[in-house]
Amino acid sequence: MLHLPAQISDSLMLLVHGQRVLAHLAVDDAQKLVHAGGDLAHYGLDGIQPGDAACERISFLEGLLPLAESPFLLRSMEMPSGRVADVHFFADGSTVWIVLLDVTTEHDEAQRVQQKAYDMTLLSQREARLIEQLEAANQELRRAHRELAESREALQRTHDRLQQELREAERYVRAMLPAPLSGPMAVDWRFVPSTELGGDSFGYHWIDAEHFALYLIDVCGHGVGAALLSVAVADTLRSEALPRTDFRRPAEVLAALNQAYQMERHGELFCTVWYGVYHRGTGSLRYASAGHPPAMLVSGPRDAAGECLALKASGPCIGISPVARYGEEQCSLPSPARLFVFSDGTYEITRPDGSMLAFSDFTEMLARPVREGQSGLDSLLEFAREMHGPGVLEDDFTIIEMAL
Amino acid sequence: MLQKKICLLGAFGVGKTSLVRRYVDTIFSDAYLTTVGVKIDKKIVTIGTEPLSLILWDIAGEDEMSAVRLSYLRGAAGYLLVVDGTRAETLETAASIQTRVTAEIGKIPFLTLLNKADLKEEWALPAQRLETLEGAGWTFRRTSAKTGESVEASFEDLAALLAR
Repeated sequence: MLHLPAQISDSLMLLVHGQRVLAHLAVDDAQKLVHAGGDLAHYGLDGIQPGDAACERISFLEGLLPLAESPFLLRSMEMPSGRVADVHFFADGSTVWIVLLDVTTEHDEAQRVQQKAYDMTLLSQREARLIEQLEAANQELRRAHRELAESREALQRTHDRLQQELREAERYVRAMLPAPLSGPMAVDWRFVPSTELGGDSFGYHWIDAEHFALYLIDVCGHGVGAALLSVAVADTLRSEALPRTDFRRPAEVLAALNQAYQMERHGELFCTVWYGVYHRGTGSLRYASAGHPPAMLVSGPRDAAGECLALKASGPCIGISPVARYGEEQCSLPSPARLFVFSDGTYEITRPDGSMLAFSDFTEMLARPVREGQSGLDSLLEFAREMHGPGVLEDDFTIIEMAL
Repeated sequence: MLQKKICLLGAFGVGKTSLVRRYVDTIFSDAYLTTVGVKIDKKIVTIGTEPLSLILWDIAGEDEMSAVRLSYLRGAAGYLLVVDGTRAETLETAASIQTRVTAEIGKIPFLTLLNKADLKEEWALPAQRLETLEGAGWTFRRTSAKTGESVEASFEDLAALLAR
């Protein structure tokens, strides 16, 4: 077919055989081997003999015979010996010739290239999947972050609204407090709640032309509930809204107050109260206490060191027991003198080292001389803050000074 | 003895060679070695009481550059389509191969093996797509050449289909 002299054709055939290790088989139409030649051992097919059932001896022939087309090529088939062959099929009448050509070198080279390409592809596919997962996780994080920011904004709005309401409530509570008086007795006060709304409240007013009432309430706890009760009690005293009660008699007032403000009807809150009545004509002071710290009387002029006298009285807190009784005490207020009524927050001060301020340190401050133009109450507040150190005081700081 | 030719088809790297090694030699290697051309193995099974010789053609996987050589399928009695359960795109490659095989040699029995079932956390096959293919007559088996899960059973299920 190539029109070459037999000598050249034979040489070429020898060249192909030398490079490709030829082996050849022939199978008849009964699928019996009729020929087996070439280097069959090279492919692990040694031992095959004419007469053998072709498909039983040579597995890859299963299903291929008779040939559907000729010539027919199966590329790169791994043989039993491990060598790789291109398997050529040719029909020659009723006989099928099968020629094996070794392509192991080309196969191995192709495998090396393909291995690298597939490794790279699998790696990049894996990387793409990881990036996709990371992006999904990132999106989820962004969504969570957005939701968090939204809920934080909502919380901030609620907080701002509550703060605004608390500030309004504080303004109302402060508006309820009486203004300082300059005569006939000078009355001044300092009120520093530990939170926007404290549990302290106080008041003073003339019951009649001769009797001056002075009182301080300290509800256990802080915040809205404590402030509401404190303001309510102060308002009850200011408006003298206790039935069948002589507001000139402190023990009677506290007993009636105790009946009106039992804790089970007032959110389980209770309070301490100091209530005193000064009689201008006689200069006497009648007073009673419901679990409250004693008022302090400092005798002598303001600009000299005075003497401190505790005005103690006994009685339980308002609201704890409906059968509570209150003792009434009396003393004279010499002029000049200063009467201090205060809550425990003025002297129960924790220092930065954890120790508590002594009550005697507090009373010593009360008895110190006050220079002209200075405020003894401001000095006291400054002293408390200095003792406490940085940050707001833990408890409400409330003190009233009545100077005679 | 009766002989049946079975081909393993699918995208590259789905585990066709590993499935054959697990089934024929009961071994597994984590190292990936690509197949060029075709490797042929033989395994004798007993279906009912009759022995059946399975001639297994492990055919090079399909990639973007080269399609499966359908000439390798000539004379096949059935085939196993292999999918990598962690690579969704290999399910589509399998679907494409199945279409071409049917066009070339007609409808012959096949099973689809969702391989690498041991990698549960990386499983990525869309359930809806699987349902659609099941509706089109596909039968799925979850296999793992690594653990051996359902490997022997899958080959023998196909053998049983061919022996009918």
